[in-house]
Amino acid sequence: MPKIETVQLFVTCLTDTFFPQVGEAIVHVLNRAGVQVEFPSAQTCCGQPAFNAGLHSQARPLAEHTIRVFEKTAGEIIVPSGSCAGMLRHGYLELFKDDTRWLDRANALAGRVHEFTEYLVDVRGISDLGSRWPGKLTYHPSCHLLRFLGVDRQPRLLLASLRDAEIVELPERTDCCGFGGIFSLEHPELSAEFLKRKISNLEKTASPTLVVCETGCMMHIQGGLQRARKALRVLHIAEVLDTR
Amino acid sequence: MSENTFRKHIRESIADENLQIALDGNARRRMAGRLEAFSAMPDFQERRAHAHAIKADVISHLDEYLDQFIAQVTANGILVHRAVSAQAAIQIFLEIAQEQDAHLVAKSKSMVSEEINFNHALETKGIQVVETDLGEYIVQLRGERPSHILTPAVHLRRGQVGQLFHEKLGTPYTESISEMVAIARRVLREVFLTAKIGVSGVNFGVAETGTLCLVTNEGNGRMVTTVPPVHVALMGMERLVPSLEDLALFLSLLPRSGTSQKLSVYTSLIHAPKRANDADGSRVRHLILVDNGRSSMRSSRLAEALYCIRCGACLNACPVFREIGGHAYRGRDDSIAPYPGPIGSVVSPGLLGCENFGQLAQASSLCGACREACPVDINLPDLLVRVRAGQAGEGRNNQKRIEGIGIPALVKLGMAAYHFGAGKPALFSVVQRLGGLLSHVISPRNKYLPLPRWTGWGYSKDFPRLAMQPFRARWRNIKQTVGHYKENKRQPAGESLPETQVTKSLSVRFIDELAAIGGIAYRIPEKELQNRLAGFLQEHGIERVCVDSIGEKCLPGIEVVHSPDPTVQVGVTGALVGIAESGSLVLVGGEDRPLTASLLPEIHIAILWASDLVPSLPDALARPEIRQAASSVIITGPSRTADIEMTLTIGVHGPRELYVFVIEENLE
Repeated sequence: MPKIETVQLFVTCLTDTFFPQVGEAIVHVLNRAGVQVEFPSAQTCCGQPAFNAGLHSQARPLAEHTIRVFEKTAGEIIVPSGSCAGMLRHGYLELFKDDTRWLDRANALAGRVHEFTEYLVDVRGISDLGSRWPGKLTYHPSCHLLRFLGVDRQPRLLLASLRDAEIVELPERTDCCGFGGIFSLEHPELSAEFLKRKISNLEKTASPTLVVCETGCMMHIQGGLQRARKALRVLHIAEVLDTR
Repeated sequence: MSENTFRKHIRESIADENLQIALDGNARRRMAGRLEAFSAMPDFQERRAHAHAIKADVISHLDEYLDQFIAQVTANGILVHRAVSAQAAIQIFLEIAQEQDAHLVAKSKSMVSEEINFNHALETKGIQVVETDLGEYIVQLRGERPSHILTPAVHLRRGQVGQLFHEKLGTPYTESISEMVAIARRVLREVFLTAKIGVSGVNFGVAETGTLCLVTNEGNGRMVTTVPPVHVALMGMERLVPSLEDLALFLSLLPRSGTSQKLSVYTSLIHAPKRANDADGSRVRHLILVDNGRSSMRSSRLAEALYCIRCGACLNACPVFREIGGHAYRGRDDSIAPYPGPIGSVVSPGLLGCENFGQLAQASSLCGACREACPVDINLPDLLVRVRAGQAGEGRNNQKRIEGIGIPALVKLGMAAYHFGAGKPALFSVVQRLGGLLSHVISPRNKYLPLPRWTGWGYSKDFPRLAMQPFRARWRNIKQTVGHYKENKRQPAGESLPETQVTKSLSVRFIDELAAIGGIAYRIPEKELQNRLAGFLQEHGIERVCVDSIGEKCLPGIEVVHSPDPTVQVGVTGALVGIAESGSLVLVGGEDRPLTASLLPEIHIAILWASDLVPSLPDALARPEIRQAASSVIITGPSRTADIEMTLTIGVHGPRELYVFVIEENLE
């Protein structure tokens, strides 16, 4: 009997609050991959919104809180978001640059953090869960996942393994969707232009479903589709993999 | 002044149809071009990392490198001035101009001159500065500032330029880009020949040799550093590389990143003013090294931005720049930031103050396309966040760090409230539940709420309802059944076929590369050279040619001149070496070797012995003659520009046609 691996889920504040079904799908998929999931319930937000906005003194208490919560746990930390994984892995090191005590703790945390698809493919060596998705799918590589974590092969491999699915390439796929945290509030005109382009490229694929690995992009693109009264939908990759 | 002028300019740019077409064209072509240029460079990532490491070393030991550079430049006979501020740089220049009694200055592109507002400052003192880069000339005629580091007139379309020339120069309206280029050539040629001072920027200073390296495509950079009797170079003090070997690395990255070229058409390597016996060149050369905030930036968290080589790749890759162009990057006082785009949103606040330009860094989704495009791997997203965090001013005296510059007060307040709540799990949970309830009351049916426009979010998208039961509430009810995953056999990776290696001779490679950039080469045995040359001139009806000593030897019986003579149509010169990988020629100036012979005429004919071909740029730069000459140039194709609608047009200031006679001993 192989030992059952136990991991910690950092579900992220957006998934927790807006898309709890994504969190459930993550747990199911990890279970299928032979992984037991724990959820430290004191977790809240990693502090990324304030950090990216430059409000570092606001971000710091949340970073310290998150470190404290996960220090009490063991095992790898799974994050269903490229940007939050990037925050834990890289942002904290920047935030605590001048504070060696916290920097050491941040470094220890960073070593345990994996984005969801990265964990499945690179750590567990899984490229095919036997999932099934009848129909067309297209994939939007979120900026932080793609460029900050360098994760692109992993979600593609998982999508390619889906039975009955036809994966269509999204034109200009690496273009940002225009979310960028408070950027989307502060520069609504720019954000709107990015989103318009993303939606128009999405329509070119004739795929009814867009897959992402980031609930921020999900909320942003789906919000744009709702406003434009388009019947397309955005799903997290875990929701697509949580099928048989 | 309200800080909302920035957003006003963003809105105006988005609504400007001409601008949008121009910017989309720029983004598409430049991005595709850059990718193609680097696709043939398998070790791009290694080179990029190496370039980053070199710049990191230079910036952390800047004082030592500057001492070495200044000592070497001075020993070479160039007069060095250091300017702590923009005003100091202008003052130094004004003294030089007064000494020369100069009222007309011919200037090639220089970003640092934009930064110190050079043209405007001089004009108030009665000195006319004429921009000679085509794009710069166009924006100067329009009374504008450049909108892009490399292609200053990228925001304009051809009809607008045709109309401008018609109004300002009295030429008939035209929509032909080559006609516009011909007009500029004619008008600016006069300026080159009459200006007492030529002003240039410097792309790289080489510490070990004191070399000033200047890269241009049109030939105006060569003109202003060769034809006017006095040359003044303006240089940001961080633009150093340690050695000529390092310069070769950076030259392999800069043109590919900026304009997708293997090398720019003209790479000038300047060491000294004209020596007594030299055929041509500026008699006096000054170098003004500008600090203007660089020292304080160097000691701040933004130091990495000083690694920038001003290639413009981050602008072309940036989705924000693609929407707004260079003119919309504004300070709180509504002034246009001298450096636009992602790098500009770091450098402008870094050099000129966060109070005014800090807000630029907020206009980024931190998508990281800029870093990906940067040939020096500058971590621009991190730097943008540091500007937002008020770390730009840390190097300045007693400056207080202000976090979140440029964020509207309401957004700041909202963030503070959110982070207060998120700090306390129990409170966070209560707020989640309340929010869930409230959003379901407001929108019982639809999963998305239409927020009003003023919220920012509501401008273009709906907002999701908060879940009635957030994940933390559902967690308890999730039943975990851990399965046993059976390893799937991975598909064996398809074995790629070994690439067929075609070994081309150096001369064949050289000729192919030259042809790709619009030059023409003939391989001939030496004994045929005189006849072929004579035949060529006869065919073209040429009676007088400008020559160097090699050209003279090969042209018995033809009237030749050695000095810069603008009426001569053809220049015939030798070449020190040819570079096979880029189809380039290296010409060194000196006694009997006028560099103007390969610059002023419409046609340049070069004679190159195949035995003088080298594989690549580092081999060429290792030749001692380059260091010894007062001035030399690497020529890669005929003079060209893409400043109007990015349309490649041949023959701006330098020769329109380039022929190379490659002499091969064993050729039958």
